[in-house]
Amino acid sequence: MIADPYLPQPLVLAHAIRELPDVFTWTFEVPGGFAFKPGQFNMLYVHGVGEVPISISGDPARPERLVHTIRAVGNVTRVMDRLSVGTALGVRGPYGSAWPVEEARGRDVLVIAGGLGLAPLRPAILHVLANRAEYGRVVILYGARTPADLLFRDELERWRGRFDLRLEAIVDRAGPGWFGPVGVVPRLLDDVPLEPDDAVFVCGPEVMMRFVARELERRGVPRQAIWLSMERSMKCGIGLCGHCQLAGSFVCKDGPVFRFDRIAPLLAVREL
Amino acid sequence: MDDLGRILKSHPFLADLESSQVGFLIGCTKNLRFRAGEYLFREGDQEDTMFLIRQGTVAIEMVRGGEPVCVETIGAGDVLGVSLLIPSKSHLDCRARETVIALAIDNRCLHDKMDADPRLGYAIAMRLLARTYDRLSRARLQNLDVYR
Repeated sequence: MIADPYLPQPLVLAHAIRELPDVFTWTFEVPGGFAFKPGQFNMLYVHGVGEVPISISGDPARPERLVHTIRAVGNVTRVMDRLSVGTALGVRGPYGSAWPVEEARGRDVLVIAGGLGLAPLRPAILHVLANRAEYGRVVILYGARTPADLLFRDELERWRGRFDLRLEAIVDRAGPGWFGPVGVVPRLLDDVPLEPDDAVFVCGPEVMMRFVARELERRGVPRQAIWLSMERSMKCGIGLCGHCQLAGSFVCKDGPVFRFDRIAPLLAVREL
Repeated sequence: MDDLGRILKSHPFLADLESSQVGFLIGCTKNLRFRAGEYLFREGDQEDTMFLIRQGTVAIEMVRGGEPVCVETIGAGDVLGVSLLIPSKSHLDCRARETVIALAIDNRCLHDKMDADPRLGYAIAMRLLARTYDRLSRARLQNLDVYR
């Protein structure tokens, strides 16, 4: 329960890791814990600059470490990229809907990520792996632009080494040093056995998600078994300002995670 | 049906063809093995063969600035040389990343068979069209460079 949803909690940046030239991961240490559900986001406020919505990319079982992975792409995030450990920021949240990790219990879980979309999925993956016996087969398919653009490389290697998890990474193009597949993420579905009762979590650029969802449907996965994480310009984070309105829904409040059968008609609407 | 016929029929590209139609193609087909690093064909080569990949991975590459850039990999069950209906020269290098075993179907021979048996010709053409459409869809998505 959030006492005042507009009041940021002051937190001090404890760790910063460079993931990619334009992507970094921040950790705030929160002694009292910052509980969240996988897939939720926070509004991060840089004093005097502005506030941006950022997905939580940390482990939900470790609420004392609040982690966000951020791409320096706008005015606020470019400033964030230059901030040092020890800087105080404001944090509001957590907001939004979550990946249905409870509903997925007992089912095979397929996680499909593209680019920075792996960050909002990471908490769900960590949750599933921490409760591995409660899920069926777990498959992660991850696409990136080039091998150099793969996020969380050390963790990907660890996941790939597990016997209870299948991880496939694909890149759009590659030089001679890459021995994995090259192509688009939906291509990886060629080699994945799919069942109608799988739980499929998808996050990435919207056009990629549309291609993936179409391919999943073509292979017999019903819309009710697919969840997507949407992105729209968010301001208030609590469904009041209307910036992130998507037809009758607000991405910040009703999303960002939507079941595909609820969002599919909207994805085909231009300029929405 | 001999061994080559059985192998042909087991490839997804030809899976639903009638046995007699598959048998008709045996005379056009060789079972080839490529070592890692060996080219199935190179840019500028006349595309005189369609390859049905049985095992291994093939890198489809273009050279940019003197360096090969892999734009797609294909593997078992895939088809290389979907442009066989239109005589052309390859605009790509296709290199075995590891040992590749493929059924190599001679294009001229295949054309003759397709002309001689229009039902077979239609079936092959439709399969090629489906593969071409899939590849075009993927190329379009790739071309959007969505992760930039």
